[in-house]
Amino acid sequence: MLLSRFWYLILALALGAAVGGLFLANTVYNRASTESMEQALSADTQVVSWYINDDARRRSSLLLKVCLDGTIRKELSKASSKDDKVPQDVRDKTRNALAKLVEEMPRDYKFSSLFAIDQLGRVIGQVGFDQAAGIENFDMGGYAIVADALHGWVRDDAWVLDDRIYLVVARPVEVDTAQMPAGAVVGLRIIDTSYAKQLSKRSGASVGFFAGGTVKAKAAPEGVDPTQLDTIVADIKNLANDENYKEKGKSQPKILMGDIGVIYSKIPGEAWDLGAGYVVGRSASVVKTPLDLVKLADDKEKKSQPWWIVGLVVLLSGGLGLLFSVLEHTRPLRTLKAEAEKLAKGEIDMLQVSKFRGLYRKIASDLNDGTDKVAAKGGVPRKAADLESVLGPIPAQPEMSAFSFPVGGEGPASQGKPASGPVRPPAPRDSGPRLPVQMPAPKPSPEDKPKMPAPKPEGPKMPAPRISEVKAPAPMMDDDMEAEDDDDATVVSAVPPEILEASATGAHAAVEEAGEISEWHNVFQEFVRTKKQCGEPTTGLTFEKFQNTLRKNRDQLISKTKCKRVKFTVYVKDGRAALKASPVRS
Amino acid sequence: MLVPSVALAATVKGQVKGHNELINPVWEESARPDNNRYTWREPSPTVRSEFRRLFGLAPKELCIAGISAGKVEAPKVPILVTVGGGRTTPVTLVVAPGTRLRFRNNDPYKHRLYAVGENSLPPADMAMAAERDWTAPAVGTYELRDELAPSLRSWVIVKEGVASIGYPNRKGQFFLTLEPGEYKLEFFFAGKTIGELKGVSVGARDVDLTRDPIKVALPKEKDAPKGAEK
Repeated sequence: MLLSRFWYLILALALGAAVGGLFLANTVYNRASTESMEQALSADTQVVSWYINDDARRRSSLLLKVCLDGTIRKELSKASSKDDKVPQDVRDKTRNALAKLVEEMPRDYKFSSLFAIDQLGRVIGQVGFDQAAGIENFDMGGYAIVADALHGWVRDDAWVLDDRIYLVVARPVEVDTAQMPAGAVVGLRIIDTSYAKQLSKRSGASVGFFAGGTVKAKAAPEGVDPTQLDTIVADIKNLANDENYKEKGKSQPKILMGDIGVIYSKIPGEAWDLGAGYVVGRSASVVKTPLDLVKLADDKEKKSQPWWIVGLVVLLSGGLGLLFSVLEHTRPLRTLKAEAEKLAKGEIDMLQVSKFRGLYRKIASDLNDGTDKVAAKGGVPRKAADLESVLGPIPAQPEMSAFSFPVGGEGPASQGKPASGPVRPPAPRDSGPRLPVQMPAPKPSPEDKPKMPAPKPEGPKMPAPRISEVKAPAPMMDDDMEAEDDDDATVVSAVPPEILEASATGAHAAVEEAGEISEWHNVFQEFVRTKKQCGEPTTGLTFEKFQNTLRKNRDQLISKTKCKRVKFTVYVKDGRAALKASPVRS
Repeated sequence: MLVPSVALAATVKGQVKGHNELINPVWEESARPDNNRYTWREPSPTVRSEFRRLFGLAPKELCIAGISAGKVEAPKVPILVTVGGGRTTPVTLVVAPGTRLRFRNNDPYKHRLYAVGENSLPPADMAMAAERDWTAPAVGTYELRDELAPSLRSWVIVKEGVASIGYPNRKGQFFLTLEPGEYKLEFFFAGKTIGELKGVSVGARDVDLTRDPIKVALPKEKDAPKGAEK
């Protein structure tokens, strides 16, 4: 269960790390996206600024042709020479010339309005500005750009007339280099949707122009909704409090409505002081939840992921989880089930504890104890326990075990020789042939099949010994007895025939020594006392049987280890009294 | 139109010089790069540098006033000031106390004229051809501006004894109509007095001062605009 629990913990940690990573990725993505958007906005703003500048220069170049036009120069010169009323024919000729020149201009750079102005600032002729058609003495000489042009300067400007934004360029009209320019030509380009589209198409930016608190024109590249810029209307009034905008003419990047980033910029010119400007916008690609990250990915991105790694992780994680579950849950449960079925069928009269590990071993042990108690209440003794069932698999030939003996064909069982001591009927085994080990406990009656002294009905929780299946009689041995060199190998294996023979003929007469008998008696007393302390039954346990067992084991151990004598000591193992045999060489 | 009618008056003819040295402060300010009034500005190489100086248009900006030592009544009719083309006409106006001014919008788009720091002429929209009367409340200089046209800056100087005003043509020639009496000719540009006072005695006959042109320009080193030719 430990592996499974660790695996669950690892999975929980991995899941937590994954969720935390997603949230972190969400935050990092939003930050990176915002930074990227702000950089893009700054770039867009710069591009728009360059575009407006470049556009003004191109238009001023177009004005050259107007300024060099003979009619324009001549008529403006005439008008400038008269401080009083300008002759109508001068106005007409000027207007006609302007109209012709405007028509010849490239479509993308065609002016909305074109004015020819004399030295006094009077508009001598104009096209495209119909609202001024009926005004006598229409004057434009007060504008700085017009004054500049009349004094020999070329420049641009931006006006806001009736909340409409105009980009303006002006050039001087020169007739005689020894005199002031005869006049000036001023071109206006109104900023409307067509201009915004043209700008957006060439700059790749989403741009809107605003004046008087409203958006006058807006456009966005294909695939971008320009109505996003409508959200700035509510924000324009806040520009009055934006120090950067007021002082530098450009705001810091702002995110409106949580999903669009904008930068406001003033338009150089008179529009600078009139609250007119342009705004560039970009969608702020932010996600609210980590799941939204998935929605951002397109099919190509989804296909390009190393899904095999993901699959591998899933398979490995799942496989490991299943493996641990099988190892720690399914297998022991099935073993328990199989054992329980055998128990139910009567094939065994107790669970083989050694087949279980961990909690299942405890369960098996408890079940065995429970069985014992039930059996004891019913007066049915339990078979002697196999040491292996108690202590787990015993090595075939543990090198250091004092109770290890050759097994298989070399054993007395295979040779059909009778073993010394009481012979017990074979018990069913599920493993290879092993010598039976039986508890030297007293049996309630000689007719008991197991030949194992059954514990008292009120016996404590000691796993009952059982008789393993054997083909020949084998020397009996207390299953609670262990060799000193191996705690888990309390015993037992096949006894060499020569040892059994020697034992039977009394070749080892040394055991008859009085001191050894006395020592065994003490051991017996201690063993009985210990069993009682452990709550084990002692009924029927006699010294005679006890010493027979000790004698056999002593003989086997001496034969095996060539020691001089064997010392037995009592100890408690798994809550049960047990004996340990220690060869003494000196 | 701008000169109050005077009965039995004589004409004073005069000549100013140096008026092309008077730099228009609005244009000069607009020419400074740090005022963000353009994305680019460059001189036309074929225009001589003396013409590239942004001197004002004297017929609209240089006001010549005949100041009487005695008290002069304000004219009965208002003086018309047109608003259009990024300025008023005239730009600088000198009047006697109590003179009513009538502003008329001569542009096809609206203006929002106001007097700086003067509550009697607050910003108010003037549609095309709309008129708005205003009388300066006291002696002093008033600067007028337009909230919708940053280039529009005009000055109204209210002064005691203003008997007559006039504006020179581009050559500097001017004339005033004055009743017989002693006067001083004062010259105003961009709301300031410039040049030297010129005393003139008007009798029954016209007075010709053209033989002795009056210098009106400020000293060049003080008046020269910085960056005007940038």
